[in-house]
This record gives sequence, structure tokens and C-alpha cells, in this order.
Amino acid sequence: MSFDVLFNQFMSGIARASLLFLVASGLSLTFGVLRVLNFAHGSLYMLGAFVTYTIWKTLLIPVVGFYVATFLGALVMGGVGIIIEFFLLRRLYARGWPEQLLATYAIVLIITDIVKWGWGGEFLSIPRPKPFTGAVLLFGFPFPSYNFFIILLGLTVVIFLWWLIYKTRFGDIIRAAAHDREMVSALGIPIPWLFTWIFVLGSLIAGLSGAVTAPFGSIALGMDVEIIVECFAVVVIGGMGSLPGTLLGSLIVGQVYAFGIMFKPELALAFIFMVMAAVLIVRPWGIFGRPER
Amino acid sequence: MVINQTEQKESMLKRSWWLILLIIAFLIAPLVMSKFYLTILCEALVMSLFALSFNLLFGYMGQLSFGQAAFYGLGGYVVAMLTTKLQFNFWLSLAAGAGGAGLVGLIVGYFCVRLRGIYFAVLTLAFGQLIFVIIFKWHDFTGGDDGIQGVFPPEYLRSIEAYYYLIFFVCAISAFILWRIVNSPFGQTLKAMRENPERTEFLGIHIARYQLIAFVIAAAFAGLAGAVWVPFYRSVAPSYLTWIKSGEPVMAAILGGPNIFFGPILGMFIMTFVHSYILGFTHFWPVIMGTIILIIIFLLPGGILEFAKVKITERREKANIAKGQT
Repeated sequence: MSFDVLFNQFMSGIARASLLFLVASGLSLTFGVLRVLNFAHGSLYMLGAFVTYTIWKTLLIPVVGFYVATFLGALVMGGVGIIIEFFLLRRLYARGWPEQLLATYAIVLIITDIVKWGWGGEFLSIPRPKPFTGAVLLFGFPFPSYNFFIILLGLTVVIFLWWLIYKTRFGDIIRAAAHDREMVSALGIPIPWLFTWIFVLGSLIAGLSGAVTAPFGSIALGMDVEIIVECFAVVVIGGMGSLPGTLLGSLIVGQVYAFGIMFKPELALAFIFMVMAAVLIVRPWGIFGRPER
Repeated sequence: MVINQTEQKESMLKRSWWLILLIIAFLIAPLVMSKFYLTILCEALVMSLFALSFNLLFGYMGQLSFGQAAFYGLGGYVVAMLTTKLQFNFWLSLAAGAGGAGLVGLIVGYFCVRLRGIYFAVLTLAFGQLIFVIIFKWHDFTGGDDGIQGVFPPEYLRSIEAYYYLIFFVCAISAFILWRIVNSPFGQTLKAMRENPERTEFLGIHIARYQLIAFVIAAAFAGLAGAVWVPFYRSVAPSYLTWIKSGEPVMAAILGGPNIFFGPILGMFIMTFVHSYILGFTHFWPVIMGTIILIIIFLLPGGILEFAKVKITERREKANIAKGQT
């Protein structure tokens, strides 16, 4: 096997990792602060894709239509996040985690049917936006330039989240709340307000990542389960609630998937779970995770 | 202490009259029920066994498995493949279904029992999806998304009535075994681990080993439920292993009450009959299931049976106070 083939595969692995990071970062952020594992995160991602498609279809703005629709779609999903947090999750923080998990699972079921009812079961797609329409030659192999857009977006979100969490006052509060919720509350910071914003941010990122998958031509029912299971693998490998862990987990899962597909396509997912099992034997809480308190 | 125990046994006999009535009702059900409702009753029984196996982990061990359907589906696939491809003996296939699921449960459980709480839930979900994906994608071996059709029980079990009795006896005996397990010293240890893992460990109990045994038992009974269902339904498909299917026992347990042995059974019966009623006029079952989950979580924390138990004790206490006053 020659170097150029491997490099091409490596690059598509990076693109895959970038998309995985986009979705998993919201999941991990929500878990890190709220201690709620949001099963519905994948559903928000799916709904975000469908909503963006509809916005794009109704507006039909030339040239920048996709970007505008993506922006608006992410905002709409942020709004959906407010509704879910305010009307459901907020009332469950005092309860045990099984009830919280089950509530988000109920949202999965409801969103699935909303999508089925609103958009039906067909595959939808948005044409690739300019300037990412064509393909770039990497060592003689065509590589879709849209993948570069995904990689760039992933990098932007990594830097944005890093800046938000480690460089701002809001980030200080986030990290403090993840560590000791009661202490933060005692210092006069309204915890419910913080939780709402974190959940909205998570939903927004989920919507954004759903929106940018539209040009891959794969908006369909079932895309939620497909991505969420891989994202669980990402956060379990990296450590739940850790941003560097999520990044590392995405890179590992993305690469394992890319090279697994080359080796035996049917078992690409199985390889991911084998890696996950291997990591868990050595570090049950994930690479960057902390044991549960 | 000895007297106390015999007293307990007597009061148990007195209290279990309803169970005997229930068993008689199940035995005469095929004589009075239409074929349509008998089919639904079969499904409710099988799903109840599935829910009981799940609740051994959730209600007694205190860990929520979100991948239980993988074992249910595996049991079904083992029976389907053995009877259609190898013309294997039907009864041995049922046993192989439970055994196969238990064996995979041993491997999956080995990793899962290292984790607690939400981590356990995620890991069981991930492994459940892995098994689903393998069966879904391995087209040559498992039939992929077409599943396997034409799984027939032996001639003498072809009628709905005959197969109903098989399902009833399998489920009743399994429920009895599970009931004995949760009330044995082993079951008490599981409960102790649920309430306080550190203290139980200090007593010299190897938590991971106990949890692994419970995990394997739960997987085997889930596999048995799948194994006994597939020949009745005549086919098996990968949808048996999805997380939607895994969510059903979770919901049944929460609906009926996970802290009471019969809670998940009641939950499953309600769900199965509501499901078949709703399918009469709409295919949007998930949204209804989701709404029901939210209603239970908000209005009936602890489930129906827990709610009833609290009400009954309240009434008894009131009656006792009234007696004391007169």
C-alpha cells in the first residue's frame, strides 16, 4: 500500500474526526456541567439538518444561501434547546440520573416522529456551497474540498470552546460548576441560568453540525442514532466532560473508522468499539476522564 | 426468629391468593380469548420476561442497562439460524439461544461491570449498538436488514394456543427462578451493592464478580425471551436489537415500578396492549411512548405499583390510628 493512498485515507479520517468533534463536544459540554447525558443530542443534530434544509429551500438566497441557512438553523436549534431545558430538564435536576436519561430518551422518540411527520423518510441534500464545490488533488487522488470546510469549522469550534472555557469569566464559572456546583451557587451565581445557557450552547452546536452535514447528501431519518453511538464511543474513549478528551477521542475514532473502512467496510464500526474496549481495560474512565464522585 | 419466619410464610400464602387466581386466568385464557388478543397476550408475556431480566440489573443491582435488547435479539437470531440453516432440534435451539446470549453477556459484562451509573448505561448502549451493527452489516451470515424468515416451531406447536402454553410455561418458570434469585442471599448481596457499594466491598464481597454473574443471568433470560418469541413470530430482524427496543424494558420498569418484582410485568402488559390498540389508527407510536415516559416521570415517580403501595400503607396507617382512638 502506497503512501498517497494512506495519506488520502488519513485526511478523510481527519474530516470525519472533525464532524465527530462538532457533535460530541456539545454532548460532552452538557454532561460536564449539567451531569446530564443528553441522549437527544443526536436528535437535535438531525432536527438541525432538516430545519436548515427547509430554511435553505424557502429562502433560496444565491451564493451564500447555505451559510445563511446554517446560521439560522443553528439559532433555531438553540431555541429548541431553551424549550427542552426550561420545560423538562430544569424540573429533573433534583431527581436521579436514570429519570434524566429517560427524559432525554423520550425527547429522542418525540423528535424522531416530528421529523417523520414533517419531512418524511426520503434522503435530502443541499448542493455544496461555493468555494467548496469541487475536489482537490492530494498526491493525485481527488479529495472533496468540502471536507476542508468541515475541518476548518471543527478547528474554529475547538478554538472557540477552548477560549470560552479557559479564557473567559464565563468559562471560569463553567469549570467551577463542573467541579462543585453548590459552592458556585453559594458564591451568588445563579446555577439554573448557567445550566440553561450551557444546554443552549450544546443544542446550538448540535444544530450547526447537523446543518453542515447537509451537503454530504445524507439528511435522513436514522442519522441521529448513527452519529450518537459513535459520539458515545468518542466521549467514553476521551473521558466524559473533558474537552481535550473529546478532541483526542474524535481523532482516534475518526482515524480508526477511516482505516477500518479501507480494511473491511462491514466491520469499521466494530473496530471503533474494539479500541473503546481496549481503552477501558486500561482506563475505565476514559483517557482524560475523572472517576465518578 | 423461627416463629417469625413461619408466620411470614403463612401470611405470604394468604397474600399470594391473587397469584394463584392469575395463573388460573392465564391457563384458561386460550379458551375464552380471541386469536387476536391471544397473540398480544403472548407478546406481553415474552416482553415481560425481557423486562424482568432487565430489572434484575436495574431494580436489584441498581445499574441501568441500555443494551439489553442486544441479548434479546441474539437469542432470537441463534434460534432462527439453528432451526433454519441446520434444522437443529427446537428445544435445544431455545437453550442455545439463552446460552449464546449469556455467553456474549459474559464478554460484554466483563467490561461493563467496571463502571457505575451513567457510565454503565453508556457502555451497555455502545456494546448493544455494536452487536446490532455486526448483525445488520454481516449480510452473508445473518441476512442483514432482511433478517431471517420462515422460522417454524415443530408441528405440534404450530397453533397459537399450543404455542401460547409454551410461552406461558417458559415465562412463568423463568419468573419463578428470577424471583428465587432476587430473594436468595445472592439477591440480597446485589441489593446491598446497590445501596452502598463501599460498605459491601468492606464486607469482603467482590463487587465486580457478583455484578458479572447478575449481568450474565440477565443476558441469558433476555436471550431466552427472544428465543421463545422468534418461532412464534416466524421471523427475526435486526430491529430487535436497536436501542428503541432496549428502551422498552426501561420504560416498563419505570412505569410499573422497578422496586417491586411484578412492577416491570405490569408495565409491559400496559405498554403492549396500549401499543396494539394505538397501532389500529396511527403509526406514530414513538411519540406516544415518549409522551407516556414524560408523564410517568413527572406524575408517577416510582411507578404505578409504588404509588399504589404508598396509598395502601397510608390508608392502613389511618385505619390503625382510627382503631387506636376508639
